[in-house]
Amino acid sequence: MRRELGMGVALILMCLGLFLSNPDFLGYSNSINTVRQISMLGILAIGIAFVIVTGGIDLSIGSLVGLTGVIIAKLSSPAQGGHGYSLWVGIGVALGVVLALGLFQGLLITKLKLPPFIVTLSGMMMFRGVSQTISEGGTLSLGGSPILALANSGYLTVGGEPLLPYPLVIFLVVIGLSTYILHFTVFGRYIYAIGGNRDAAEYSGIDVSKVETSTYVISAGLAGVSGICYAAYIGQMSQQVGVSYELYAIAAAVLGGCSLRGGEGTVLGVIIGSAVMRVIDNGINMFQLRYVDDHKIPRLWRLDQNWTFIIIGGVLLVAVVIDQVVHLVLEKRRIRMAGLLEQPGATAAGTPPKETPTPADTS
Amino acid sequence: MTTDDATTTPLLLEMRGITKRFPGVVALRDVSIKLSAGEVLALMGENGAGKSTLMKILGGAYLPDEGEILLAGKPVVIAGVREAKGLGIALIHQELMLAPNLDVTANIFLGNEHAAFGMAGPLPRKRLNDEAARLIERVGLKAKPTTPVSTLTTGQMQMVEIAKALALNARIIVMDEPTASLTAAESEHLFGIIHKLRTDGIGLVYISHRLDEVLALSDRITVLRDGRYVGDLARSQATREGIVTMMVGRDLSNNYFPEKTSRPPGEIVLDARDVRVPGTPRGVSFNVRAGEILGIAGLVGSGRTELMQTVFGVTPALGGTMTLDGNPYAPQTPRAAIERGVFLAPEDRKHHGLVLPMTIAENTSLPNIHSYARYGFLDRATERKVATAEVARLRTKTPSIQQRVVNLSGGNQQKVVLGKWLAMKPRVLILDEPTRGIDVGAKAEIYRHMAALAEQGIGIVMVSSDMEEVLGMSDRVVVMHEKIIKGVLSRNELSQERVAALMTGIAEGAAA
Repeated sequence: MRRELGMGVALILMCLGLFLSNPDFLGYSNSINTVRQISMLGILAIGIAFVIVTGGIDLSIGSLVGLTGVIIAKLSSPAQGGHGYSLWVGIGVALGVVLALGLFQGLLITKLKLPPFIVTLSGMMMFRGVSQTISEGGTLSLGGSPILALANSGYLTVGGEPLLPYPLVIFLVVIGLSTYILHFTVFGRYIYAIGGNRDAAEYSGIDVSKVETSTYVISAGLAGVSGICYAAYIGQMSQQVGVSYELYAIAAAVLGGCSLRGGEGTVLGVIIGSAVMRVIDNGINMFQLRYVDDHKIPRLWRLDQNWTFIIIGGVLLVAVVIDQVVHLVLEKRRIRMAGLLEQPGATAAGTPPKETPTPADTS
Repeated sequence: MTTDDATTTPLLLEMRGITKRFPGVVALRDVSIKLSAGEVLALMGENGAGKSTLMKILGGAYLPDEGEILLAGKPVVIAGVREAKGLGIALIHQELMLAPNLDVTANIFLGNEHAAFGMAGPLPRKRLNDEAARLIERVGLKAKPTTPVSTLTTGQMQMVEIAKALALNARIIVMDEPTASLTAAESEHLFGIIHKLRTDGIGLVYISHRLDEVLALSDRITVLRDGRYVGDLARSQATREGIVTMMVGRDLSNNYFPEKTSRPPGEIVLDARDVRVPGTPRGVSFNVRAGEILGIAGLVGSGRTELMQTVFGVTPALGGTMTLDGNPYAPQTPRAAIERGVFLAPEDRKHHGLVLPMTIAENTSLPNIHSYARYGFLDRATERKVATAEVARLRTKTPSIQQRVVNLSGGNQQKVVLGKWLAMKPRVLILDEPTRGIDVGAKAEIYRHMAALAEQGIGIVMVSSDMEEVLGMSDRVVVMHEKIIKGVLSRNELSQERVAALMTGIAEGAAA
C-alpha cells in the first residue's frame, strides 16, 4: 500500500497546487470533464492491470479501443459511411469482436507459450490496420447517433452538466466488479499467485492457462467498454483513435503500484494512477502563474503544450525512481538492523575489538 | 536385500515396474518402490539416477510408459498435478513453490480453497485463516496466518510447504532435498516434524544427498542408479559405505579425496585484517597462502558467503584492510577483484556462475572478453582454442565446446565455471560450495582438480557445509559462527568434533 499512499498524497497536492494557480481547475465544467477523462482511462487501465498482475502485458488495447469505435460507427452511424443499424447491434458486435480477439490472443499466449509482448504487439498492429480498412483510411462520423449522449449526459444534471456523467457511472461499476474479482475471489487470488510464482501456482494444481487466458479476455473486454465511451466522446472515428492508449494505461497502472514483474498492484492504486495521469494532462492546460512584466502589465505565464509528454514521462520516471530508492533504503536498514541484532552484546563495550590475536575470542 | 516388515502394516503406495523414456534416453527402467503408512523411505542415488523422474511420475507431472501405481492396493492413473493432490500425494520441491507476494494462509490453501462456486466464488478468508492457524501450530511455525511469505526464512517457508501438504490431507509426502538450504536448528525442527508426521501414519519419501540425515531419519533406503532399481536397505543394515557403494556401483571411499601434499604452504597471498562485512557486528581477520586449500566452515547463515562476497568486491567492506601479494587490495566491484586475479565460483552457479543459454566457449571467454577482441571484433578462433584447452584440462564431458551449458550436468557445469577462471591465471580462487548438487563421481574429480590447482601455487578458498569435504580437502580451516570467525584450525588440529564445536558456537578457538 506504500505506493497507493504516496501517489494519493501526490495527487491531492497536485490538485491543490493547480487549484491555487487557477481556481477554474476545480470549476464545474473542468472538474466534470477531468472526471470523465479519468473514468475512460481508468476502465482501460483496470483491464490491463489484470494482465500485468499475472506478469503479462497487453499492447493491443489501444487498437481495440479504436476498433470498437470504428465498428460501432460503421454499423450504427446514421451518417454517411454507416449502415444505420440499431446502436445495440453496433455495440454488441463490437464487444463480441474484442472479446473474441482477447480470447484468441490469450490462447496463443497460454497454449502456444508465446511471449505476450510479441502476440499483443502483432495484435496492436493488425487491429489498427483493420480499423483503417473499415474506415477506408478516412473518418466515420457518429453524428446523429444516440451514442453521443453517453459521453455528454448522465445522472443529476445541474446547469447543463451532469454531476454523474455516464462514463463515471460505468467506471464505478467496473471498479466495484474488479475490486470484488481481484481482491475477494479465488480467481483473483490465483491471478496474484501466478504473478508471484508461476511454478508454485502450476504445482498447486491451479489451471494457470485458464486463469491467464481469462485476464486477456478481461483486458480486451474492458478495452471495448472504454472504447464505447471514447467513441461517444470523440464522435469522429478514424484509425487515429486510441493510438498509444495502451501506453497511458500501462503508465497509470505502474504509477498506481503495479509491478511489471507481476504479483503486485491493487484496483485502488490503478484508480489513483489513472487520476494522476489525467490531472497532469489537464493541469498542463490549466496551470498558470500571474506576474507583472517590465511594462507593469499583469500577465499570465502558462506551460507550453509541447511539454506534455516530457512532463508525463518525467513524472512516471520520478515515481518509480522514488519507489526504488525508498525500497533500497529500507532494505539496507533492514540488513543493518539484522546485523545489530546478531551482535552478541558487543556494543556495550563501545570499542572495536583489538587487533592483537588472543587465544580466547574477544567476545 | 529387501525387508519384509511390509506384511505388518498395509502398503500405502506401490510403484511397480515403472519405465519412462525420453527422446534419446531411458530415464527409468523397470523401477519399483514400496511405501507403508508411517514409514520414512529415503530415495537415494546420484544426480541422473532417476529419483526426480520417479517422483514427478508420482506427482502427476509425467505419465509412465510402462508399469503401474497402486495406492492402498488399488491401481490408479495419476494424470496430472491436480489428480495427484486429489489422491493425497503432496510433493515438496527443492526449490520451494510458494508465492512470496501472498501471505501464509493464501499459500497453504493455494489451489485448495474449497470456495463455493469454484474460482468465481468469494474467498472464505475467515475459515482459511482459522484453519491455517491450526496447521501453523501443528508444524510449529512461528508466524501468523497473515504474515507475508516474503518475510519468512527458508526454514519457515519449508514449514509452510508442509502445512500446505497437510491441508490437502496428504497421505504421502515427498520431500526433495528439504535441508539443502536450512540451518542446523531449522533442520532439527524439520526432523521433529517428520517424526510427528510418521506417527500420524503419513508415508514420507525423503530425497537427500546427506548420508547422516538419511541414516538418522529413514526406516528404509531405496537406491537407484542410472535409472534402475539397485536395492533396498533397512536402517539396521545401512552403513555410509554400503549406501555409497550401491549408489556409485564401486567403492569410492579409498580414493575419494586426493592425497594431501606435505609440501609446506607458500607465502601469504591474501591477507585480510579486521575486514568488516556489511551487516556484521565487527571485523574479521584471516589469510590465504599460495598453494593451500583454506576451508571456510560454518552453518548456512554464519556469514561465510557474505565474507567471500566482500573479498570478491560484490559488497565492499565497511572497514579494515586487505592486501594481495603485499599490495593494498580493496575491491569495490567484482570487476576490480577479477583484474587483480581474485575469482569467485559462486554457490548458485546457475544464477551467478554461468549464463545458461550460452555455450561453453562463450561462458569461458565472458569474464575476460576484452582480451579476445581484435580491432573490436571477437576473435572466435582464440575463444575456441582456450575453451577447448580448458575442457581438455578439466575433462568436461560434452559433445562440443559449442554445447549450451544449460544442457550439461551439475558437475560439468561446475567444470565450466572453473575453466573460465583458470583461463585467466588466478591468484586466489574462491569456491563457494564447489560440489553442491554434484554427484559422487564428479565430486571426486572436482576434488582432484582443486588439489592440482593448489599444487600450482594458487590460493584456494573453499566454502563448504559438507563436513567430510572440509576435513578431507582443507589444509587449514576457518570456522565461522554468527557472522564472525570463531577460530582457525591447522591441519594437525583438524577433527570433526573441533570444527563442529566452533561451528555451533559451543567452543571458542584461536582467532587468526
